[in-house]
Amino acid sequence: MLPLVFAVGACQELEQEVLDGVTSEDIANSTNPNLINVLKASAYSRIVGSWGGHNSIWSIQEVSSDEMAIPQKGADWEDGGQWIRMHRHTWNPQEESFNNSWNYCYSAIGEINNLLIQYPDVAALNAELKVLRALVYLWLIDSFGNVPIIEETSIGGNPTNNTRAEVFAFIEKSIKDNMDQLVKEDTKTTVNYYTAQAMLAKLYLNAGIYTGTPKWAEAEAAADAVINSGKYSLSSNFFANFSERNGGSTENILTLPYDQNNAGGFNLPQMTLHYLSQRTYNLQEQPWNGYASLEEFYNKFDDKDVRKNSFLEGPQFASDGTRLNDISAEATDPDGQPLTFTPQINMLAPNAFRQAGVRVGKFEFASGAASSLNNDYPLIRLGDIILIKAEAAFRQGKTAAALTAINQIRKRANVSEYTTLTLDNIFDERGFEMFAEASRRTDLIRFGKWNLPWWEKQASQPFRALFPIPQNQINANPALKQNPGY
Amino acid sequence: MSNYLPKLKSLMLAFALVLSVMATVNAQNRTISGTILDAALGDPVPGATVLVKGTTRGTATDLDGKFTLQLQAGDQTLVVSFVGYLTQEIEIGNQTTITVNLEEDIQSLQEAVVIGYGSQDKKEITSAVVGVKPEDFNRGNITNPAQLLQGKVAGLSITRPGGNPNNGFTVRLRGLSTFGANSSPLIVLDGVIGASIENVDPNDIQSIDVLKDGSAAAIYGARGSSGVILITTTKQGKKEGTTNVNINTFGTMDQATNLIPVLSPEEFVARGGTDFGSKTDWRDELIDNAFSYTTNASVSGSFGNSNYMAAVNYRDNNGIVNGVGNERLNTRLNLSQGALNNRLRLNINLSFTNVDSESINDAAFRYATIYNPTAPITESTETAINRFGGYFQRDLFDFYNPVALAKQQKFVGETKTALTSYRAEFDILSNLTLTAQYSQDRRNTLSGGFWSLQDFQVGIGATGSAERNTFDRKQRIFESTLRYETDLSDKLNMTLLGGVGVQYTTNQGFNARVRQYLFDLGWNNLGAGAIRVGNNTNVSSFANEDQLNSVFGRANFNWDNIVFVSASVRSETYSGFGENNQTGIFPAFSVGSDFTQVFDMGLFSQFKPRVSYGVTGNLPPSPTLALGVYGNGNRIDLDGDPLTQNDIFVGINQFSNPNKDLKWETKKEFNVGIDFGIWDNKVTGSVDYYTRNISDLLFNVPVATGAPNPFDPGRFNTASSTWVNLADLRAAGFEFAVGVTQIGKGALKWTPNLNFTIYDKTTIESLSNGDLGFEELRFATPGSPGQNNNPIIYNRVGQTLGDIYGPKLNGLTEDGQYILSTTDPNQFEKLGNGLPKGEFGFANNLMWGQWNLSFFLRGAWGHDLYNSYRGFYENADPASNTWNSVITDKTPTNPLVVSTPTFNSSVVEDASFIRLDNMELGYNVKTKSANLSSLRFYAAAQNLFTITNYTGIDPEVRTNDSENGDAFTSALSPGIERRNTYFQTRSFTLGVTVNFK
Repeated sequence: MLPLVFAVGACQELEQEVLDGVTSEDIANSTNPNLINVLKASAYSRIVGSWGGHNSIWSIQEVSSDEMAIPQKGADWEDGGQWIRMHRHTWNPQEESFNNSWNYCYSAIGEINNLLIQYPDVAALNAELKVLRALVYLWLIDSFGNVPIIEETSIGGNPTNNTRAEVFAFIEKSIKDNMDQLVKEDTKTTVNYYTAQAMLAKLYLNAGIYTGTPKWAEAEAAADAVINSGKYSLSSNFFANFSERNGGSTENILTLPYDQNNAGGFNLPQMTLHYLSQRTYNLQEQPWNGYASLEEFYNKFDDKDVRKNSFLEGPQFASDGTRLNDISAEATDPDGQPLTFTPQINMLAPNAFRQAGVRVGKFEFASGAASSLNNDYPLIRLGDIILIKAEAAFRQGKTAAALTAINQIRKRANVSEYTTLTLDNIFDERGFEMFAEASRRTDLIRFGKWNLPWWEKQASQPFRALFPIPQNQINANPALKQNPGY
Repeated sequence: MSNYLPKLKSLMLAFALVLSVMATVNAQNRTISGTILDAALGDPVPGATVLVKGTTRGTATDLDGKFTLQLQAGDQTLVVSFVGYLTQEIEIGNQTTITVNLEEDIQSLQEAVVIGYGSQDKKEITSAVVGVKPEDFNRGNITNPAQLLQGKVAGLSITRPGGNPNNGFTVRLRGLSTFGANSSPLIVLDGVIGASIENVDPNDIQSIDVLKDGSAAAIYGARGSSGVILITTTKQGKKEGTTNVNINTFGTMDQATNLIPVLSPEEFVARGGTDFGSKTDWRDELIDNAFSYTTNASVSGSFGNSNYMAAVNYRDNNGIVNGVGNERLNTRLNLSQGALNNRLRLNINLSFTNVDSESINDAAFRYATIYNPTAPITESTETAINRFGGYFQRDLFDFYNPVALAKQQKFVGETKTALTSYRAEFDILSNLTLTAQYSQDRRNTLSGGFWSLQDFQVGIGATGSAERNTFDRKQRIFESTLRYETDLSDKLNMTLLGGVGVQYTTNQGFNARVRQYLFDLGWNNLGAGAIRVGNNTNVSSFANEDQLNSVFGRANFNWDNIVFVSASVRSETYSGFGENNQTGIFPAFSVGSDFTQVFDMGLFSQFKPRVSYGVTGNLPPSPTLALGVYGNGNRIDLDGDPLTQNDIFVGINQFSNPNKDLKWETKKEFNVGIDFGIWDNKVTGSVDYYTRNISDLLFNVPVATGAPNPFDPGRFNTASSTWVNLADLRAAGFEFAVGVTQIGKGALKWTPNLNFTIYDKTTIESLSNGDLGFEELRFATPGSPGQNNNPIIYNRVGQTLGDIYGPKLNGLTEDGQYILSTTDPNQFEKLGNGLPKGEFGFANNLMWGQWNLSFFLRGAWGHDLYNSYRGFYENADPASNTWNSVITDKTPTNPLVVSTPTFNSSVVEDASFIRLDNMELGYNVKTKSANLSSLRFYAAAQNLFTITNYTGIDPEVRTNDSENGDAFTSALSPGIERRNTYFQTRSFTLGVTVNFK
């Protein structure tokens, strides 16, 4: 008898309970009024995620430019040569950081599309999510170019590449169709109407690169919409935009709201500081002694320029004022054991001195900081928009308007205002202003300097202006085609 | 065997009773009476059968071993027999009283082999099954049942690199059968499927049987792919009607051995190392000889239909580093009682085990090898005293005082396991038996971690930290079987088995970690840690449960002891499979024939070729993988204002995309073998050749992130991976085992046993499923500093699993720079493979009067290891002024290598080895005492010597990468010896065993 009962039981379908997580059905059936906001915030948290960590999209944008490198110190930071290749423009499609960047973008897109399917009737949310999705595509068009456009209406099958021009049109349409439904208040950590305008400004500024057809007037108009809104103003203290408590910055338009406890992932102190700097800032973990700026880039800064404090340079001290001493300093290092961040880096690889290179000091390292910072990361900032205005105006021949804009920035930086202007002035100013804000690579490409040689980087071929589609993605999706040249 | 013997005994007893009734009916005037005794013990043998030869007249002995039998004219010979003894024939002559001493029949005791759901006569076995008895077990301080079998069974690889008493053994049968967590064979303990091995102490084991091929394991269906090990514990006394008391106690000393040579303080300074002015042998400071103690005590008996065994086992094992060890107390009670003339049999097995363990951060072994030899252990500077508890520490990358590290971080665990099983067997008819068994296996672990305020590695940054964890597992199984045996004709015997089962498993756990203490209170007061969110803190818990329903059947046929056939099938319905694939079917078939029953085979007393084929499966490592569960995302403060708390929530993130097609992994195995016996089974052995195809392996596959999910139409991939069944692996192997019983003359007897395996290494035939999958999978980067990005294990389609790839070292320049074949990872060459071409074990038992000496040699050949100490620390590069350097026989010294350490062919070494695994000398004291049945003294040594060309810590095969925390990829990167490996140890044991009666 008993066996029979069980025999019947054995043929039944079994329901798998989930005890410590939720399924998509649970989400669909929930009536919790907070859920929609939390899900929206979850989509944002994908973007907060790994942006500011090592091996991220920030890393590939910065290390491939002439403002940053990760010198190899003996065994340390050799790491398979990825970062040497990144700086020398000899990377290959297998680099882990390309794949990380791709996943970072597309997991956010998947999350957004799932939300759009789940809440098809909430118009304001739909508009916001579509603009947020466009923001992610802005990084994709800039880094990888010919990427698949995946919308909530896309159906089965492997996604295929779209051309960079198609992606451009998609971003433009997504923003324009939805921006009027966005709020105009300064929301800071979510996209609003001015974020959308700023995104348009950035998109049009690079239209020549992305599509072959420049759109300077459109870039200027979009920048003007932000500048003239009166919602944002330059902070008198440049570094207030990057401090640990920068949530009140009047200048930041869209930030990634990092929080060491709730929203980790901004690991700059680990990435750039020397091992011994742990004692300067009483850091919770020992830093990795990696990212440093290039001497030539650092030396371009005027000594009077307050923005030169974006670097940590010179002798380093413990928090109690004692001089830090690196007993493992190379015997050949002319600076000896006392820890000093020198602008000169003796070589990129293999034996850069441990203390060589000025470090990224633009973001405040609060005493007792965890490996992940509390500082919010400015993705879009008025200072950048003003420089876009200057450049777009200048390229249309409106020098006076350009001078007005650029001098606002120079004045705040305590450097002399320009009376005449060249394209190189604008390029340099963008370097001073936007250091460590993942802008340099795009600027180098737009100003035609990307393929030129610098320091330990030789002239590179034009196809290097696009990163390769990550090999892992091509393996996972054979319908994807590699970018030309790779 | 445990179920086999009592059953047979009771049948024989019943048979004897019937005979004696018949004998009474035919009573005549002449009688003979007598006593039947055990020849060895001198104890009476109750229930023995006494028959008049050539008739059906006879009787059975009573509880005192006595009998009386009426004789008829012409009766000449009595036949005295009892299960487990050699049958004797006695000439009656004119005797009226006789005494017969029965000799134990060792051979017949060994003939029963435990298979799934019962036992079978060894001669009937048609698949690759190996039984190992206590006399063949490994000797010395054996703490884990797996260790008993190390090297004893061809194809069964059991390894534990290094000598950490807290580490378990990695067990693999016939190589890798899954990428996942269930790569060790399934343990079936007294019929309880999947029991934790902690439940049994090595001392309480009566036999271990290994189901090697797919056909034998297929009766365990979706849990059988990695093979099955059946453990049977002692259930009863050695002789009917007596009580046995056994006490065994021993002490063991462990010492570190085979330390990798490093530079002396003088050599270190001469090479440019920073001189701190002292001389410290860091390994000497860290390690010490360790002493361990074990006591086993058991009492057992068999009285009529009652059998019992009760045991207590206490083990206190200490490692060679202070702060590493465990204390284990195991208690077992096995009871069985027959009722209704033994037609109903009730069994209860209870076991409880408590293990208290403590361990250190294993990185201490690395730092003890490479810490600056001129640094003092302590110093009296203000900084050292205030910040580091007096220990010498310096702010350098990856540089921690090993003595401080071992003392200022602590990790403890308390594990309690309880296995209770209840079993009833009822003979509905004499040949139809219904069995029901319920078991509950619980394993509760409470652990703690502590980082002192003055711990330089973690504690200072966190201002002290501590954690508490629990992990609890509960498995309940109900199984019921029906067994029917009949003779279909006078030559054809058939046994049918049918059964159903249901298994529920629950796992749950909890973790809390805090930081920022004022005093070092550790996990005893988590409330004293001020910070409970963020870095180095945690509050979390988890739980999952699943259900597995099974229906199974088996039919065995025996045609006149010439041809044997077995066929079985099991159907498994598992809640954790995707909804489109919930039930798997696992069939098996095997056939064998003993040629000696048909042909004159000369020397052969047995020659049984057999062929088998079976399909087994493997379950997913977690029951919710098919569902694409959302877990915890970031904490989200909706308004960003930390002062308002009612709008903070934890977001949700999907970690893996759903897959409704997810199912079991499948292994199909074909086995041909021959069991043979020569010279009346003086020499016995077996030869096996197998090929196996493993398909539908579960793997977390990267998918087109953000794209529509092909397994869950209408939704998009938000995770970058999905659990998918993919890949095909093919492997084969040849196994040979031979044993000889007691060769020799006079008092000296030698019993050798040899086995070896030659592997046809696992080949990867595919790593994909449709569009999803890989051409290759690369794993295992050497690590920090500087070797974080280039994986060194390439798993390529068409190649063997776990190949080591890297640049070839083509030599050195005059000034000591590497000349590497390439720096492009895509141009790397195959440098080796971490899995062995073969393994062998050679056991020897020598007896000479009261003395016995056993020694066991074990080895593996044809495997390579990445020696990571050489890979990081043998070069005279700039970093070597911070870290000490290793100098092995293979380290280039002229010139010294000055390049930055980079993985290359020179640090991949052939690790073939032969090891004297264990050796024991014992002396049995002759005893005439009425109460003392035996007294034995012994001395044992483990890991006495190793012959190898490998220059690292331990040439033992590494099937897994110890630093890869992902169970799914660690098995794909064999052959890596990591720097944190616990040192090898050598052990010496002295012990005494006493048996009372």
